[in-house]
Amino acid sequence: MNVTSQDLQYFILTLKNCTKYDLTEYSDKSLMRRLQKILVDFNLDIPGLVAAIRNDADFSEKIVKEITVNTTELFRDPQVWHMLRSRILPRFKNNKTINIWHAGCSTGQEVYSMMILLNEMGMLENAKIFASDLNSDVLEQAKQGVYKYRFNIGYLDNFDKVIKQNPLNYEEFNDVPYEKYFDIDKVRDTITIKKHLTEKPIFRKHDLVKDGNLFFAKFDLILCRNVIIYFNYSLQNKVFELFHTNLYTKGILLLGMHETILGPWAAKFEKMGQAYIKK
Amino acid sequence: MYKAVIIGGSAGSFQVITRILNSLPPTFPLPVLLSLHRLKHVRSGFVEALSIKSSIPVIEPYDKDQIKPGKAYLAPANYHMFIELGNRIALSTEEPVNHSRPSIDLSFSTAAQVYREKLIGIILSGANKDGAYGLKKIKDFGGLTIVQDPEECQVKTMTEASLKLSKVDHVLSTQEIIRFLQNLKQ
Repeated sequence: MNVTSQDLQYFILTLKNCTKYDLTEYSDKSLMRRLQKILVDFNLDIPGLVAAIRNDADFSEKIVKEITVNTTELFRDPQVWHMLRSRILPRFKNNKTINIWHAGCSTGQEVYSMMILLNEMGMLENAKIFASDLNSDVLEQAKQGVYKYRFNIGYLDNFDKVIKQNPLNYEEFNDVPYEKYFDIDKVRDTITIKKHLTEKPIFRKHDLVKDGNLFFAKFDLILCRNVIIYFNYSLQNKVFELFHTNLYTKGILLLGMHETILGPWAAKFEKMGQAYIKK
Repeated sequence: MYKAVIIGGSAGSFQVITRILNSLPPTFPLPVLLSLHRLKHVRSGFVEALSIKSSIPVIEPYDKDQIKPGKAYLAPANYHMFIELGNRIALSTEEPVNHSRPSIDLSFSTAAQVYREKLIGIILSGANKDGAYGLKKIKDFGGLTIVQDPEECQVKTMTEASLKLSKVDHVLSTQEIIRFLQNLKQ
């Protein structure tokens, strides 16, 4: 079934009128594709979908969850983690506390990757970890910290690259056992993050479009990776403003590998590779 | 009269792409969009490898980058690459499609919607069926479709799947694809 941009506008408007979700400023291409998928999965046409959204709040919630799921992995993009390890986190080494916000944390792999790295650097105790996502289902998974093993076998590879090896000195090798941080159960096909990690972060359902800062804290480091690719230019700017306001001076915003700040907010940060430092 | 060329490839396509990029005139009048599968552990260094012999700049684009003629845009590892209205790149980390991210089908079908009859789609050597549906979409929107001659492909699954799914305009050898693209300059 082909979805036209009129269909998409109709769908977005219905959602906006009937729920608390406003997808007006989301990037069209990915929404279009996801809308198409929803129509196929639920065997509906546009009028049927719109009627269901109007009449059934639970259904609407489910639809929004389908639309806002994004994938992530442990230590996604090892080179970014190398940078965190060698150039970003050392800046906060002598802080009494380090506040870190994972905005759009999805199923939580990035949160646990960060905690593992902090722990190896002796900085976890001083860190306060905040994590948020719009989607309460993925947030629940994030709290559990249980992931498919076989599907995510690359996790161990990434772990080795970031935690065991030192990219600045290949002769250095720390044989950190996986069991220090997670249990692998090959029969049940799961990787389970250890409790000492899953208990620590504060997870909150949060809408970057309109919720502001829910944590009543300012941050040294905000990670928002592969989230703004789903937003249009004007919404991106609103989000950059939110982050800028809630970072300490010299605090760092880290975006995804292929995301960048365009427009007025670029001048308010100093760029260091993937990282943006608040001026 | 065309506005863009999009190329999809997987196993066995690296050398073909290299030859194509090497043979394009530096003044090539169109953007070249590359949606190529790569091995999971070879995530960096690919763009550099392609750049060495390319006569036009090869870029791993950022999200929302403007697409410009005479440049090649390589879908970044582990992202889907869409083409948006307004001639911009959009990236996404949605689930892999047919085990692939980037998905050639997604890149091709979004490009088809944007460029319609002004798009040239090319499918090269590869070991799965990704790309066949996307090439059909280009055809449906009136674009021109080309498939590398399966006889010449290191792995012909992808080209054969494409030929099966839609009526392809041309089946060409690498040399013929190169000549075709070189003649696009006016």
